Amino acid sequence: MKEEQIRDSGQTTAAETPGATVLLGITGTVDSAMLQQRVQELGAAFDARIIVAAPGLSETNESSIQFRSYALPASSPENLPWIITSMAQRAICSLAVELQADVCVLLHSDLLMLRADLVQWFAQPVLEKRCDLVLPVYASGKFEGLLNSGILSPLSRALYGHRIQYPLPLDFSCSAEMCAKLGAPHPSHDLYADEMLWPATVAAVAGKQVYQFHVDVSHARQTEGIELRTALASLVGSAYIEMEKYAAFWQRNRGSRPTPVFGAPAKQAAEGDGVDVKPLIDSFLLGARNLQEIWGPVLPPVTLFELKKLSRVPPEEFRMPDELWVRIIYDFALAHRLRTISRSHLLGALTPLYLGWVASYVQEATASSPFAAEQRLEQLARSYEENKPYLLSRWRWPDRFNP
Amino acid sequence: MWQQVEQSLHDSMWRVFSKVAQLLPGILAFLVALLIFLLIAWGAAVIVRRVLVAVDFDNRTKSTTNALTELAPQQTPTLLVTRVVFWAFVAIGIMVGVSAFEAASAEYGISAYVFAYLPHVIGAAVLLFFGTVIGRFLSRSVLITAVNLNLQYARLLATGVRWLIYVLTAAMVLDHLSIGGDIVPLAFGILFGGIVLALALAVGLGSRDLVSRSLEREAVRPGEPPVEEKIHHF
Repeated sequence: MKEEQIRDSGQTTAAETPGATVLLGITGTVDSAMLQQRVQELGAAFDARIIVAAPGLSETNESSIQFRSYALPASSPENLPWIITSMAQRAICSLAVELQADVCVLLHSDLLMLRADLVQWFAQPVLEKRCDLVLPVYASGKFEGLLNSGILSPLSRALYGHRIQYPLPLDFSCSAEMCAKLGAPHPSHDLYADEMLWPATVAAVAGKQVYQFHVDVSHARQTEGIELRTALASLVGSAYIEMEKYAAFWQRNRGSRPTPVFGAPAKQAAEGDGVDVKPLIDSFLLGARNLQEIWGPVLPPVTLFELKKLSRVPPEEFRMPDELWVRIIYDFALAHRLRTISRSHLLGALTPLYLGWVASYVQEATASSPFAAEQRLEQLARSYEENKPYLLSRWRWPDRFNP
Repeated sequence: MWQQVEQSLHDSMWRVFSKVAQLLPGILAFLVALLIFLLIAWGAAVIVRRVLVAVDFDNRTKSTTNALTELAPQQTPTLLVTRVVFWAFVAIGIMVGVSAFEAASAEYGISAYVFAYLPHVIGAAVLLFFGTVIGRFLSRSVLITAVNLNLQYARLLATGVRWLIYVLTAAMVLDHLSIGGDIVPLAFGILFGGIVLALALAVGLGSRDLVSRSLEREAVRPGEPPVEEKIHHF
């Protein structure tokens, strides 16, 4: 779909679909008064019936806007913010099914996305274009969201065939049918109580239509006080669990197809001056010196040899080839599935390798423009796709195929 | 005189051979009983394994055995139950064999001693298993955490933790088997106490400058804002 066509369709309003029910779910606790005020402003732009759901709201039933409270699932204090958000997203999807909403818009509790134009972008493709899932493309610089651009997004693209920039979004909208899929309780719910919600993966597996649109919003980082190792283990571990769950699907899937993107990307501020990569390289080198006993059973000899070579190059020439990085991610996925070593150890041992990749990427992208950096990440994503046969061989015949 | 020497040698040889001849049926009975129970153990282990695989035991017990799979990923619940069944039959075989040996050789009191000692052996084996698994797990945990904290002596720390746990396990196993008497706890106390004291001295003396520099830095720059990071992972 051409962007012009999408823009044209974006100029219509949700008022063209009167009678539709839109559930606006807030995935966290908010100030009720502020929320009600913001929603009143929003209500004027919509002809649809709006239901607003947030935890701890006093339930009111006004003319066109209804406020509902939902119970935020109990979570343990050590749960990470994105796990709590996922639990709230599931609860909202279940509520949407219960209320028979035509479209469910899930927004982060900082309410930055609670703007008439953005909510319209979220609701319209679902109401008018039979789209099942609308995901945002957040405004970010070339050195932001590196865990997403280095692992989560390209891995999701190579496996499930949808080119989604943020497969683990804080905000999204979905159709009633998708709500039923996302909110469905897991057969063994207790076992997966801390499992994250990957709407893009569910949509890809169910063969649903997905749209994306650029937003000029960037949420505040939720990682204060959380170690990189913990966050990486949680996010990548969850991606690996999804990979195992949908193995039958992605083994059949070949290549990837573009996902329509609305709007224009937000302008990025210039950055990149004075980024010191030495601590990152030092972390990688420390890992290379000490973690051989962990990497040994996980990585094949060729990869270990490449890492050894990499640990001997001078810092200014430090570059991790895409193929090497991609194969490391695939080999760790296999070890996660086979439980070659304890999963917490496995994911902990990935951190120095990830920092090595970050150092390599930062050195390459420092002097380049945001567009060139984007192209560089696109090249990495293609490498994930090109190396998928390697993953398939190792996944199917882990003992026989060990280069 | 030579006749008397010859006679006594002849008598002692006769006594030894007759004793061996008395013991042989008992030893044979022990080996046969052990062999039979080894075969039964093997058969029972195969059957139990097939049944557990058929009922998807590993997945059914996933929620309760997560700790085990984290500690020892290669030890699935099915494998563990199968091994317990196998070794239980082997232990029964040993007990039956010892009884048969006692009955065949008319050596009284052996089975009572073995039966009383067997629980200690089983307890020691369990201690050894868990000690080894926990030692390896904690050592790896320390290694990975130390590397991620950029500690240069990560491997030294991990090796220290591993050997502390191994030494503790060995002392517990020997104590459980009642080998070495009071020497083992005494030696272990001296060794463990010595290691802890050495570490405390090393950290106290070696890091004195580091700690004072760190405290000085905090005192001089109390309100300094944190450096803005230019790379964001999330």
